[in-house]
Amino acid sequence: MWRGVTPNLVVMPFDSKLIAVVGLLALATVAGIIWKVTTGRAKRVKTGEQIDLKEIGATKNGVPVTKFGEHTTFLQFSSETCSTCKQTAKLFEQLEKTSHGVLHIDVDLTHRLDLADKFGILQTPTTLVLDSKGIVKSRIGGAPKPSTIEEEIGHFVI
Amino acid sequence: MSKKEIDPRGPRFGAVITSILLLVDVYLAWDKATFPLAVSLLSVIVALFAIGALFGNSKHPYGYLYKRLIRPLLQAPKELEDSRPPQFAQFVGLLVAGAGLVFGFLGADYALGLIIAVSAAFFAAFLNAAFNFCLGCQIWLGLARAGVIKP
Repeated sequence: MWRGVTPNLVVMPFDSKLIAVVGLLALATVAGIIWKVTTGRAKRVKTGEQIDLKEIGATKNGVPVTKFGEHTTFLQFSSETCSTCKQTAKLFEQLEKTSHGVLHIDVDLTHRLDLADKFGILQTPTTLVLDSKGIVKSRIGGAPKPSTIEEEIGHFVI
Repeated sequence: MSKKEIDPRGPRFGAVITSILLLVDVYLAWDKATFPLAVSLLSVIVALFAIGALFGNSKHPYGYLYKRLIRPLLQAPKELEDSRPPQFAQFVGLLVAGAGLVFGFLGADYALGLIIAVSAAFFAAFLNAAFNFCLGCQIWLGLARAGVIKP
């Protein structure tokens, strides 16, 4: 028995199946950590694009939105199959109450794929940060980190 | 898909069991001797995904297990969640694991196809369980824009 085993000492302590499974688990863990770290960060936008509130069909509590926030508007795009969107909306609504001049608008893209095409949105939530004139200043893909939001307000709220 | 409010921890509990089963399945599929066992286990996993995709988490055996065994040990959920996102994830799981099962039925020569599909399903289930990754947030819009699914 012992003789038959020794030539394979390098391989024998771990069989290849176990290595494959542990490797898969490790890979998924690394992917998860990378995703967690990179998601929800703000990227500067310098195109100077201005949002048309009518075009995006912005409503708040059923009433059309006609004015941007005095300092910052967080324009959040959501979808029906997105569980994180609701949590993100809650975060922004809280912020609206505690910070002056901040407006949060939530637009559901489920039946507005034209808007998803226009803004090149692939994941939800995606949030555009607008200044007082509705010009896009930055873009946040995924659920924003609280620190990201703080930084964004710091940029526009004095 | 109709909208219902559910305890968000239910689907995540299910994702934990699903990811363990998928990982075991990859392990079994690696060896020719245990490949048939992997196909049998995958059939069960696919059937469970089908229940989740068609009827939602509340009618799923894991949802039932959660309600009976885990939920009583926990505090009330801080907030409820839309039932549609996890149901969409179950649907994607059904498609991917189902593709793996087709390879399984073709025989052990196609083990690699099964392993790739099951590994992909494991990735999504594990990320959901461990990192609260939401498949519906990441891929639904892209698929809808590409015309693969209709809103």
